[in-house]
Amino acid sequence: MTLTKIMRNLQTELSGEITDKFLEALLYGMKMSFDMSGGYRLNIENFRGRYVFRSADGFVNAAADFDRGDMKVYDSVLEEWNVRVTFKDARALRKFLFSRDQDILNSLLANDVEVEGNLNYLYKFGYMARELLLRLGVM
Amino acid sequence: MPEITLKDISLKDYGLSERISHLKKIYFRAVPEICTERAHLVTRFHLENGLFEADRISILDKAKAYRYVLRHRNPVVSHAQGVDREMKQFTFTDRQLFAGSTTTKFKGVPLYPEFLSLTLWPELQTIAKRKSNPFHITPSEASVLNFEVFPHWMEHTIMELGRKKSFAMNPPSAVKKEAPEIKLLQRMVFFLASKPECISHTIPDFSKAMKIGLRGIIEEATHLGNHAQDPSRQEFYEAVREVLEGMIEYSRNLSTQAEKLAEKEPDQVRKRELIKMAAITARVPEFPAQTFREGLTTVWICWTAIHLENPNIGLSLGRLDQLLYDLYRNDVESGAMSIEEAIELLCCLWLKIGDHVPAVPEASEQLFGGTGSNQAITLGGVDADGGDAVNDLTYVMLRATELMKLRDPNLNARYFSGVNSKDYLRRLCEVNLNTGATPALHNDLAVIRTLRSKGDAIEHARDYGVVGCVEPGSNGRSYAHTAAILYNLVSPLELTLFNGRHRHTGLDLCIGTETGDPETFTTFDQFKAAFERQIRWMVDRSVCLNNLYGEIHQEFYPTPILSSLFEGPLLKGRDLTRGGATINSSGATIIGLADVADSLSAIEKHVFNDKAITFAQLIEALKKDFVGFEPLNALLRNPDKTPKYGNENRAADHNAAWITRVLDQAFNEKLNYRGGRYRVGYWTMTNHAGFGRLMGALPNGRKAGENLASGITPVSGATPYLTKALNSVAGLPVSCLSSGVALNLKYSPENGPEMLDNFAATVEGYFDDNGGQRDGGMEIQFNIVTHDTLVEAALHPERHPELLVRVSGYTAYFKDLNPQMQKEIIDRTEYLLSTGRMVTFAPYAIPERRQS
Repeated sequence: MTLTKIMRNLQTELSGEITDKFLEALLYGMKMSFDMSGGYRLNIENFRGRYVFRSADGFVNAAADFDRGDMKVYDSVLEEWNVRVTFKDARALRKFLFSRDQDILNSLLANDVEVEGNLNYLYKFGYMARELLLRLGVM
Repeated sequence: MPEITLKDISLKDYGLSERISHLKKIYFRAVPEICTERAHLVTRFHLENGLFEADRISILDKAKAYRYVLRHRNPVVSHAQGVDREMKQFTFTDRQLFAGSTTTKFKGVPLYPEFLSLTLWPELQTIAKRKSNPFHITPSEASVLNFEVFPHWMEHTIMELGRKKSFAMNPPSAVKKEAPEIKLLQRMVFFLASKPECISHTIPDFSKAMKIGLRGIIEEATHLGNHAQDPSRQEFYEAVREVLEGMIEYSRNLSTQAEKLAEKEPDQVRKRELIKMAAITARVPEFPAQTFREGLTTVWICWTAIHLENPNIGLSLGRLDQLLYDLYRNDVESGAMSIEEAIELLCCLWLKIGDHVPAVPEASEQLFGGTGSNQAITLGGVDADGGDAVNDLTYVMLRATELMKLRDPNLNARYFSGVNSKDYLRRLCEVNLNTGATPALHNDLAVIRTLRSKGDAIEHARDYGVVGCVEPGSNGRSYAHTAAILYNLVSPLELTLFNGRHRHTGLDLCIGTETGDPETFTTFDQFKAAFERQIRWMVDRSVCLNNLYGEIHQEFYPTPILSSLFEGPLLKGRDLTRGGATINSSGATIIGLADVADSLSAIEKHVFNDKAITFAQLIEALKKDFVGFEPLNALLRNPDKTPKYGNENRAADHNAAWITRVLDQAFNEKLNYRGGRYRVGYWTMTNHAGFGRLMGALPNGRKAGENLASGITPVSGATPYLTKALNSVAGLPVSCLSSGVALNLKYSPENGPEMLDNFAATVEGYFDDNGGQRDGGMEIQFNIVTHDTLVEAALHPERHPELLVRVSGYTAYFKDLNPQMQKEIIDRTEYLLSTGRMVTFAPYAIPERRQS
């Protein structure tokens, strides 16, 4: 998939009707941006962290593995992780990560998302995801 | 008893000076700016000294870290710029009379990455644009936090250290998994544990710094250290010396900076002011304060240092009118200072105290929206011997508060009927009328009684000050963390109604303890017994978690600065987090008392006594949020047909009192990690709105998502008569309310002197113990504003930037509150003092666009 296509998908997922491809678009968008932008890659230069995302119905499974400047994306869960996010549906995950008026706490309040592990990893992920959208002009 | 020498205690001839008007204007123009200085310096010290690799951090290492920060921080004498609401910088001429600042910014947001600052991480690039309470931050500051500060703390925040420590609370088969208490915390609807955010809530002891100076305390610590055998005590005294030397260094840096500015200053008046500031900061706080201004400077410099160590939430200044009175009197009597100058100095200090706001992430605004740092100051009351402690300075401080109308400091006044004068009480009421919201009033008779009931010595109880919102704690000797647990009382009721299940977490999951299907209960006592079991189950869980986080504070975040300025630690040779204080209690505050008490009363009457409905019908109605059950909802809400707490109804008030006794007993049985016991309070900040949003319909007729009643206040609209409401609250057992209460009342402004008479008379009546037949009300606070004004301010916040309101404990600017909280204040029962009757109005509907 080309960067242009990924970004177009991401833009669609963020601004229009959300589908179960949202997470895939976000993670691959991040990966390609890390590969292509040295400035963005600074975020993970000295960072190691494993993230697991899954929907409550088991339909969506994904993982991201950051390892000192490198990011790998998996379409399955990893056994070892720093933080694991279980979300009700793709819409809940989008709201959790990006909604301007809500944030991590608000989604937890609404019971849309369950987080296990070290929350600080999620805060960092939230920063990187928002920076990606700002760089792409979709936020 | 001090003689009142003022001819007019209202001091109405004294207004805002030109200097203060200028500074106040800038103060309201400026928005908060995130300051990275503290976070950056603390992080750098931890990196350079290997503290991130340590399995515990000693108090001496911590002291060295704070000394490093004190030495390297920017000594701000004058600010030159701020940022306005459009996030544009503006410049101004600073004419402050006090050197030093909490942050490098005119109005700063200090960050404590050890605690919860990382929650701001996702927002760093958008925080200046968020709708509610935006903070300014420059791109370079955001970059510093993103790359140089936050990454280092990911494994080292209190929250994360506590999570890892909780692995050990599980059986060995479930290693590396959070304890169930952590999962309960994350569910948000049961309780909140605030130690991951701070301990803070306490009043330091400034008296020693004033009398012998920090140099004197260093000498005392040196002497005690030289005679200590125990290495941990020796280390403690060395840590004390380290931080106090750092504070002296900081003050000297301020002095040097003031001298430099004076040399360059072309304005001769300002030049002289800077020279004086340089001279004062060269002397204090190192040496004893000799003038009123030196006394204020001592308090201020110590205050900034305490905030370097302890997050800016709920730290309180105590009885400043007692602490500073001798210096004030000497200066006034000798002619060295006029009353006008004293008021100006206090106004300057009040602005300095408000030079920072806490870092609140966006969604937390929904739970704690609009909060300042809740820095309480306490005035008046009685002295250690029980005599009248009100003095001239009490009135001077009241006048400064009346003129400034600021959110911080949060002013609280004590009143002992029969000891303090009626004129004093009238003046307190008058300041409330003129500010619309401050000071909160505390009944010495009841508060001293409740503190005594928990074992405080009589002289310590009489010397109480108010902490944070409304919590009483002995001045400079009670390390009580009054807000350790925020306990949602609606959840144990929910668990009782659904046999250990909770609608928020799903009725297929037994998350509490099973106490039986309520449909099988044949008596109200059976229901109460089940409810008590659920209360105790949640008390156990919340205490267990609070103690766990407390141990993390002991291992990683000892407090050498605060311990140096406190009664107890020097004598014991022990840090505050390890029980160094004279009084070592912890506090839980309860949210939802009135709604739950009314729910019990509704069940008692309609299910068990009258048998008008079955439990099955009630549960069905609750599950459907009363849709299809409108007549039942009307019955349950009607105070003429369903007993309501706050109407002098014996059964309803009995249920409220019973709940307070159960909670007091359940918490008081528990020991905290410092060896003290838990105390219980009823003040809710904005949590009654936050928790209210999450909770389903209740048996008192409240529908899902509606606000809960605030503090210890009866449910809004359920108590038509003011006197009955006051008598019901005053009839609660104060020994069960030892961590403070907030009774929130709203009065319509009325013309004429009668309003002041009625105001004072109602306070007297509420505080009265009726010759020992009851305990009397503990605390009362007011909003004196009409429903229409509040509605207009909600719709047009730009027209009311300085509208001050009492939330449930602290004061806030109405415009800063979230829509739910604004609605709660708008809909609060409003009384006309002239009739004692409730004013009727339609409930406020939050406009669609403002809902969040």
